[in-house]
Amino acid sequence: MASTKPLKTDWTADDEGDELPPTTETTDADGITTIISWKFDEHDRKVKTTRRVRRKMQTQLVSHTVAERKHWPKFGLDKGKGSGPDRNTTIIGENIHFKVSATSRAEPEAEQSAAKAPAGKAFVCRLCKGGHFTAKCPYREQLAAIDSVGADGGEEEMDGPSNVGALAAKGAGGSTVGGRYVPPGQRAGGATGETMFRPRDEFPTLRVTSLSVDAEDEDLRDLFARFGRVVRANVVRDRDTRESKGFGFVSFESRKDAEAALSKMNGFGYDSLILSVSWSQPREPRQP
Amino acid sequence: MKPIILQGHERSLTQIVFNAEGDLLFSASKDNVVNVWFTSNGERLGTFGDHKGSVWTVACDSQTKYLVTGAADNTMRLWDVRSGKCLYVWEFLTAVKRVAWSEDDEMLLSITEQRSGQPSVIRIFKINREDPANQSSTPLREIILTGSKATVALWAPLSDHIITGHESGKVAKYDTKTGEEVMVVEESHRGEITDIQLSPDGTYFITSSKDKTARLFDSETLQEMKVYPTETPLNSACIAPLRPYVILGGGQDAMSVTTTSSRAGKFESRFWHKLFEEEVGRVRGHFGPINTLAVHPQGKAYASGAEDGFVRVHWFDDSYFRSRPYGDLEPEVEL
Repeated sequence: MASTKPLKTDWTADDEGDELPPTTETTDADGITTIISWKFDEHDRKVKTTRRVRRKMQTQLVSHTVAERKHWPKFGLDKGKGSGPDRNTTIIGENIHFKVSATSRAEPEAEQSAAKAPAGKAFVCRLCKGGHFTAKCPYREQLAAIDSVGADGGEEEMDGPSNVGALAAKGAGGSTVGGRYVPPGQRAGGATGETMFRPRDEFPTLRVTSLSVDAEDEDLRDLFARFGRVVRANVVRDRDTRESKGFGFVSFESRKDAEAALSKMNGFGYDSLILSVSWSQPREPRQP
Repeated sequence: MKPIILQGHERSLTQIVFNAEGDLLFSASKDNVVNVWFTSNGERLGTFGDHKGSVWTVACDSQTKYLVTGAADNTMRLWDVRSGKCLYVWEFLTAVKRVAWSEDDEMLLSITEQRSGQPSVIRIFKINREDPANQSSTPLREIILTGSKATVALWAPLSDHIITGHESGKVAKYDTKTGEEVMVVEESHRGEITDIQLSPDGTYFITSSKDKTARLFDSETLQEMKVYPTETPLNSACIAPLRPYVILGGGQDAMSVTTTSSRAGKFESRFWHKLFEEEVGRVRGHFGPINTLAVHPQGKAYASGAEDGFVRVHWFDDSYFRSRPYGDLEPEVEL
């Protein structure tokens, strides 16, 4: 099954008592079957449902008793219903990445920053403006390094913990700078604030092209896992036929791993093709 | 791994079981109905709906011919799996908390609840398989428990003994012929035993408990072999055939669920390595504590039923069968 479209309500044609057109099934050259079915909803409006599915025959050898049970008539609340799962009672869940490994123990709760402000004390670090003594500043060395870069006129990429402003905000518990509340959207390093869905570009992502069409997400993940922790690895597929388009994306947790992977895997021979790896360009913001 | 989500119940699940071939899954729930599903595609074959109270337990015989259920309406019912018809009703004074078929499908055991002056009783019934509507209402044997009440039970291999788990954390073994307690381990768990399931070959079994641990015992000697300590009370545990894993499920009590987020609730199925006693993986998905777990008899899939009313059937990927988290220490398994 490739994709199913949600219900499409036809607002124009609602002649009550009208006959419903018969369900039609057409199969196109790609092997995708389009099923158009009609029904009345609770307000007696005609509803057209279009489902595009790809049927794949899977053969399985089972014992006689199991094969026989497949032909049993339904009973109880399902009495008289046709074969096949009822979409009211059975749904297919989202794909779960489940890997058995010796180290997949639950990760310990994220440790709060060591520079947590002691409660009720009014001293401020001279370096990072955090609520601790200057001598104990955990960002001291990093700040010194950034200062030296700044003195050389070099331009450091402004993201993550290398940003002085972000450090200051972090050191003070993330919500105040010098005792003043700063909304999340105006805090340095966090222009967008928090969202429920982490944006795709949050992790360094590589675009892998000239990929074999037989490669699966798992293969891509295995291929790149040797460079570091892979957050996401997916092969881009045709929406309908589920055939690989021959490229994919791999996101790493750390930029260093991604860089190592980029230099090592660009030009790497994989399944008789030479991979071409580059940084993924962030997608243009979607037009509403 | 794409789970098949079965939403045929309006209230929380109490027990789910596969049949011997693993093509059908029976689910019992507090909404008084038992559903039967095809595991391959999640299609519902039918419903068994005559009970007037929460169905606490369900068991299917090895030929997938008869089904037995026990419920809070103080009855135990025998059903024809093919037609969904109720064949016979046994009535008791208290709720039926557990039922199980013997190995030869000739006998049934039932545990009734201890309530309102009635003791917890284990009864063994002889089943007339030729004329299923004509059963004897008097049990073959009656074991009246004096100490802590029994919560779960299973037939030991060859069905000459019954192994029980008790509310106090006791594990005991009773002789089927005499009804005597032949072996007992008083302090095997420190809390109520919530589930007991036999290994594929029957030589050992696993128990889960509210004391946050699951333990593996020898069926013959009741000797404790392995301990799997977790951080939440456990409601169910099962032993996966083919691979050296056990699956544990639980979560905090239903009454405290609303006070915590689903992430903190730890409503995951946990996979533990059977021999090394270490956690090797988790499967998320439920948003209530897992009440019951069952594993496909051939080890190809497992299912979990939870307080949220959903059953999730997971067919294992190839990577699960190829996985060897401890490297060469584990043998490879041919499929």
